[in-house]
Amino acid sequence: MIATDQTLLERALEGAEDAFTALYRRRQGAIYRFALHMTGSTAIAEDVTQEAFLALILHGSRYDEARGTVAAFLYGIARKLVLRRLDRRDEAALEVPEDYAGPEDLLEDLTRRESIEQVRQAVLSLPPIFREAVVLCDLQDSSYEEAALALDCPVGTVRSRLSRARAMLVRKLRGVAMV
Amino acid sequence: MKSEDWVSTALRALAEQDAELEAPLAVEDRIRKAFRRKHAMRRWRNFGSWSLAAAAMIAIGVVAGLRHEVREGRPVPPPRAPDSKVAPQRVAARPPQVAAVDPPIADQAPASKPAPSNRQPREVVTEFFPLQDVAMPFERGELLRVTVPASTMRKVGLPVNEDHLTDRVYADVLVGEEGLTRAIRFVSYEK
Repeated sequence: MIATDQTLLERALEGAEDAFTALYRRRQGAIYRFALHMTGSTAIAEDVTQEAFLALILHGSRYDEARGTVAAFLYGIARKLVLRRLDRRDEAALEVPEDYAGPEDLLEDLTRRESIEQVRQAVLSLPPIFREAVVLCDLQDSSYEEAALALDCPVGTVRSRLSRARAMLVRKLRGVAMV
Repeated sequence: MKSEDWVSTALRALAEQDAELEAPLAVEDRIRKAFRRKHAMRRWRNFGSWSLAAAAMIAIGVVAGLRHEVREGRPVPPPRAPDSKVAPQRVAARPPQVAAVDPPIADQAPASKPAPSNRQPREVVTEFFPLQDVAMPFERGELLRVTVPASTMRKVGLPVNEDHLTDRVYADVLVGEEGLTRAIRFVSYEK
């Protein structure tokens, strides 16, 4: 039987390193990718992953299963760490042109790395509150409820931010895709 | 195709491309070390709380003995710390400035009249010396009073007489909440 995240966390908080390692291995990829998609930096993504799990070691007892999953709790920690990093960074460095000029059809081109990189840059150019909704719901496959817990806002707010974020992405990628 | 659909397709393609990305193994190594340190600290703290109680009893006994001797006019011996090496205390949210040098100790002015016989020895501390090569963020931690060989002072560049390298000296070790030792300072007592 596979142990749930919650069971692993409880055992980890009692000092069981095997449980902590299992929980880390199960969730580190998602936290790393969340931080990477939010910041575009592998170095920051590594730092955030490390700090998020450090925070889990130190403050894991604050987790309340009634409020949501361990994954959502971890996303919430990682999100705060990411936003702190983004505050420190020059956002201008992430800016990309509002519209991309490109003659080819995005859909035909999606298998090509360059096009995917353009999508990545378009996501990175979104304002953080919209970016995090897209990253969690569209790139990380989180449910609206899980995203709402991680983003500390109501589910309706997640939906509306997601809708606006997608509309922004349509505008940003207009030059590339055939609408 | 509707614009929402191709945006979804584009995002799905990005998610699929990155689906296998993970944090490097070095991160796992570091985090597991931190986990071990944290739980080692916890076990140590549990032990520490018992030894703290024992230390308090010993300290009370020492102070009572000193008072008795002072009343009888005998000289006061140099201070002895409790046998327990553990005396953790919470430090403020902001860490002490590791590079900062403590204010110099004022020279004792010649006493115009005899000092009171029950004067307590004064604690004199050095500056903090960092124990980490890279300055890491510090929010909260503990200051632990320990004893170490005097040779430890040499490791941070303080002069120690060859004859006293094995003597034990008091030190305060600053330990971050995650269990990492951050800095050390040395303590002596001045009558």
